[in-house]
Amino acid sequence: MSVMEFLKDLPSYDVHNFTLFNTDHGIRNCSKRPSIYLPTKDIPSEQIIVTEKTNILLRYLHQQWEKKNNTSPKKRDQSHIEQNGDESRPRKRPCLNSPLN
Amino acid sequence: MAYHYVVTAQKPTAVTACITGNFTSPTDLNLLVAKVSRLEMYLVTPEGLRPMKEVGLYGRVAKMKLFRPPYEKKDLVFILTARYNAMILEWRTGTNGELEVVTRAHGNVADRIGKPSENGILAVIDPQARVIGLRLYDGLFKIIPLDKDSTELKAASLRLEELNVFDLEFLHGCSNPTLILIHQDLNGRHIKTHEINLRDKEFSKIPWKQDNVETEASILIPVPSPLGGAIVVGQESIVYHDGQSYVAVAPPQIKLTPINCYCRVDERGMRYLLGDIAGRLFMLLLELQEKMDGTQTVKDLKVELLGDIPIPECMTYLDNGVVFVGSRLGDSALVRLAPAREEAPHYVQPMESFTSLAPIVDMCVVDLERQGQNQLITCSGAFKMGSLRIIRNGIGIQEQASIDLPGIKGMWALTLAEDSQYHDTLVLAFVGQTRVLTLNGEEVEETEIKGFVSDRQTFFTGNVCHDQLIQVTDEGIRLTARAAGGWRLAARWAAGARALSVVACAGARAVAAAGPRIYLVAIGDGELQLLAEVCMEEEVACLELGPGGDAALLGVGLWTDISVRLLRLPDLAPLHTEKLSGEIIPRSLLICVLEGVCYLLCALGDGSMFYFTVDQETGVLSNKKKVTLGTQPTVLRSFRSLSTTNIFACSDRPTVIFSSNHKLVFSNVNLKEVTHMCSLNAQAYPDSLALATDSTVTIGTIDEIQKLHIRTVPLGETPRRIAYQESSQTFGVITMRVDKLELAGAGGGGGGSGGGAVAARASASTSAASSSGAAPAPHKHAPPAVDVELHNLLVVDQHTFEVLHAHQLLSTEFAMSLVSCRLADDPNHYYAVGTAILNPEESEPKQGRILLFHWCEGKLTQVAEKEIKGGCYTLVEFNGKLLASINSTVRLFEWTSEKELRLECSHFNNIVALYLKVKGDFILVGDLMRSMSLLQYKQMEGSFEEIARDYSPNWMTAVEILDDDTFLGAENSFNLFVCQKDSAATTDEERQQMGYMGQFHIGDMVNVMRRGALVAQLADTAAPVARPVLLATVTGAICLVVQLPQELFEFLHQLEERLTHTIKSVGKIPHSFWRSFNTDIKTEPAEGFIDGDLIESFLDLSRDMQQETVQGLQIDDGGGMMRDATVDDLIKIVEDLTRIH
Repeated sequence: MSVMEFLKDLPSYDVHNFTLFNTDHGIRNCSKRPSIYLPTKDIPSEQIIVTEKTNILLRYLHQQWEKKNNTSPKKRDQSHIEQNGDESRPRKRPCLNSPLN
Repeated sequence: MAYHYVVTAQKPTAVTACITGNFTSPTDLNLLVAKVSRLEMYLVTPEGLRPMKEVGLYGRVAKMKLFRPPYEKKDLVFILTARYNAMILEWRTGTNGELEVVTRAHGNVADRIGKPSENGILAVIDPQARVIGLRLYDGLFKIIPLDKDSTELKAASLRLEELNVFDLEFLHGCSNPTLILIHQDLNGRHIKTHEINLRDKEFSKIPWKQDNVETEASILIPVPSPLGGAIVVGQESIVYHDGQSYVAVAPPQIKLTPINCYCRVDERGMRYLLGDIAGRLFMLLLELQEKMDGTQTVKDLKVELLGDIPIPECMTYLDNGVVFVGSRLGDSALVRLAPAREEAPHYVQPMESFTSLAPIVDMCVVDLERQGQNQLITCSGAFKMGSLRIIRNGIGIQEQASIDLPGIKGMWALTLAEDSQYHDTLVLAFVGQTRVLTLNGEEVEETEIKGFVSDRQTFFTGNVCHDQLIQVTDEGIRLTARAAGGWRLAARWAAGARALSVVACAGARAVAAAGPRIYLVAIGDGELQLLAEVCMEEEVACLELGPGGDAALLGVGLWTDISVRLLRLPDLAPLHTEKLSGEIIPRSLLICVLEGVCYLLCALGDGSMFYFTVDQETGVLSNKKKVTLGTQPTVLRSFRSLSTTNIFACSDRPTVIFSSNHKLVFSNVNLKEVTHMCSLNAQAYPDSLALATDSTVTIGTIDEIQKLHIRTVPLGETPRRIAYQESSQTFGVITMRVDKLELAGAGGGGGGSGGGAVAARASASTSAASSSGAAPAPHKHAPPAVDVELHNLLVVDQHTFEVLHAHQLLSTEFAMSLVSCRLADDPNHYYAVGTAILNPEESEPKQGRILLFHWCEGKLTQVAEKEIKGGCYTLVEFNGKLLASINSTVRLFEWTSEKELRLECSHFNNIVALYLKVKGDFILVGDLMRSMSLLQYKQMEGSFEEIARDYSPNWMTAVEILDDDTFLGAENSFNLFVCQKDSAATTDEERQQMGYMGQFHIGDMVNVMRRGALVAQLADTAAPVARPVLLATVTGAICLVVQLPQELFEFLHQLEERLTHTIKSVGKIPHSFWRSFNTDIKTEPAEGFIDGDLIESFLDLSRDMQQETVQGLQIDDGGGMMRDATVDDLIKIVEDLTRIH
């Protein structure tokens, strides 16, 4: 495969872009600098990025606890066995939904 | 207490990130470039890149990514700074039509605990813009779900079981955001995917993984839908993987050097550009095949070498085959991918280069032309992009055209066409002749004007009243008028038999002098009439007509009595006589009104100039001042540029003089010499200047403001140290070159040598005029490496920058330091080179050498060699002896009469003594990790004594002595600090401790500090600053630190505080946070430094904002009374400060 195939149909957003760029006089050196933007208008941020304060371990434990709770809401002292959880899930759902009916 | 002002003279030039997108409008195609803490927005146009806006951030950009939420028509930018400030920015056109940058979201995402990843910060954005992912600390992955409707974006950390992550990306086309990463464990590197459950904020499952990919796999490229999957780039292989199919190739071309960046070419993700650390550009193409079910899969990966580019840091595809290549190690570039023109397989055509000084490793400050104006010579760039850069301050002339014409004695622009506002003719005077050039568009051709004499030297010509031309030669004045079909002579006037010598002309009046007689001639319609005639006591040397028409002032400079007279038209009545001191005759006079003040400037034959303010009523000259502009007779000409009148002083050191705040400001011009000049406003060259030198006429435009001008001397190898030796008119430069070690050819001829190193390309040391030193020898210790680093001492001519000589060091020897010195009673100047001999098995060098070279009459002689037990990090000339820092020690060597270096004394109290600076008997030592200490050399005892030390654990990158008690240091968390020794303290313990007098986050790694400034201290322009020190950084920035008087410091501090409120920070990072001294172990507020960059931005504010900022600020009125400061007070103070760099 020739390199030409690599380079054919290079993407074009606007076919005019760079068409008037003149390289006849050798490589141009960009000397123009953009003007400086100095914001003086206070535009409040729409959103603030906040970091969740909960400790990663605490959140994990919470999630586990919730999961466990969801899986066995009736009996807290029921011994927790993983297989149990999986089996019991289908049984639970009707329970949770029942008050709505 | 110490008060300092730090300001950027040259902003960082290293490109750290670049992206292409539709930022400023849904249809604009933009390039956004990040240069450390600055963002530059460009628009892609048919003519190329058009700069739009530059934005400064209060932080170093660590990551910059674009994304487009489904509800947006434009791309947004996510930026994370090195100090973990996150922001989402939008560029939009404000109500006034100006581009503005809106911070859509911001916040700090740092955690209080966590081990920052050694592989650096990684940031990725889900292709459907659902979530931003950050890897900041080992073992943790932070997500910022992009929830449009909430006012808070809640970032949460997820536990990532892969500790050592090299790269990560989001995969395309996944119903839940899915991460792919390369990680390393004891067994090697692996790739793994994680699906993220955004609701529960946890990783839910691992869709697929692939253990044991290439051991150097380091880059992931996610492939867009419908293909999906990712490409894994390693050192030898490239792999495509999407969970099911796995295609791997090992193209031989990529093996030589690691690939370090990529960019996607087409939207569908079939083609990618890969750049490697040697600055080669490849294209990667995915070849597809159709599966049974009609979907496409990757069949093969093809890689092709396209050609050479700058060593890339980042790349981005713009449009129509044009790519922007951003570099940290030299100039960035715009290149076009195009079929080869010649046979050579080169498909990359450079279009435009973007000057970059980065990284500045060393520099020296020299006054090469010995005119009080320093230049900075930097060691910039690395590897093939290594160069020396010559930097000087001044006003720039942008050359538009030039014509070779030697011997010009005068030059004027004329308008010959009727009712034209443009000049179309240039008249040039030579000894005994006059030539006329017509400007026809951009073309220039010689012509004649009827009525002009061409066999005499013209003293003056110009357009005058009644649409006529005047020409003055020694034989008299000629008036030429427009006639049918051309010009004809309309009138002549001559001063009897006397030859005219000088002339001045304005509008309807001409004044000419012959010997001591001055004639005033009125220019009428087709007639010349003598109005007045006076005889001066001495011969007239120069004449100048001021403004004022019929009653104008006439300035006259006289021979012999060396005086300047002012006369009043029309009767040439004497008003004022000003004797100039000295014996040099006045050669050029100029009377002009600048900012409402009338000045008389009088240039003398020796390049110096007097200037006065003129009372236009009485002609009295006052406020006499003198400056030195050059060494040759100076010609003063006024010109208009950007609708203000300026003055050009033509000499061997051309200077532009302009008025600012009712003060004359002198600015150098980036030309070597100008003998004559005139304003030129031709159609093809509007608002230009024509400048004549001894051999050429240059037409060019002039910069609005003075700035730094950079000239490049390419070396093609890495420069490490530079030293200037005035006596030999040379620079010594230490360079490092990487050669390819060629193993003995299988079918190679006789000799049977083990193979030698071969230069990778022609560079400064291989193409030097002469060479000496070690022949490439096989390595004793090092295993046969593919690349060999060879160090050279180059001797470079100070005028031509030609490499006169290259001296190669031993094959395992690294040159670490260089100084030009004069030792003891020896009259010769030597280059001293400190080296380290490296053994890969040792943690630090155990041996090295100090070598002394003498460059004389084109020959480099080694005059001494001293074996040392370690690497010589710094060499300094110290009281006629040689001071060296060798590993942890500071040692002083004396130069004996037997021409040997003999150790005199040593000091041991450092980890690694990296930097030394000296002043008198004092030595400032910068340590690798133990901050700074001050030693005193006891001459009588011949020993060192440690006077004081800063006990903080600072990892130093540069040090400098500001004054006897004050020391400036830079450390590797991008901070500056000032320490002071307290000699007056009562106890020994207190005296031994250096106190902190200032600290400041400069936000850049300072590599080198040198005392000196780039601006000559000329009359009038001096702000009250002292002891300038220039700093140069890894990212190519040049900064200046100066000491301020306390009152000014306090005043500026108030202004700084106000400006932090006036100027809103993009990304909402507080200024105080940005400038606070920050290391791994502490963060403390900035003190003792004024942020000059913030202060200078006052000048860019609108008048209203300036007014608002000034409100309530008190200023000393000069007599100790405080009053409210006005905007003009502030502008004056700040403008003065801008002129110190």
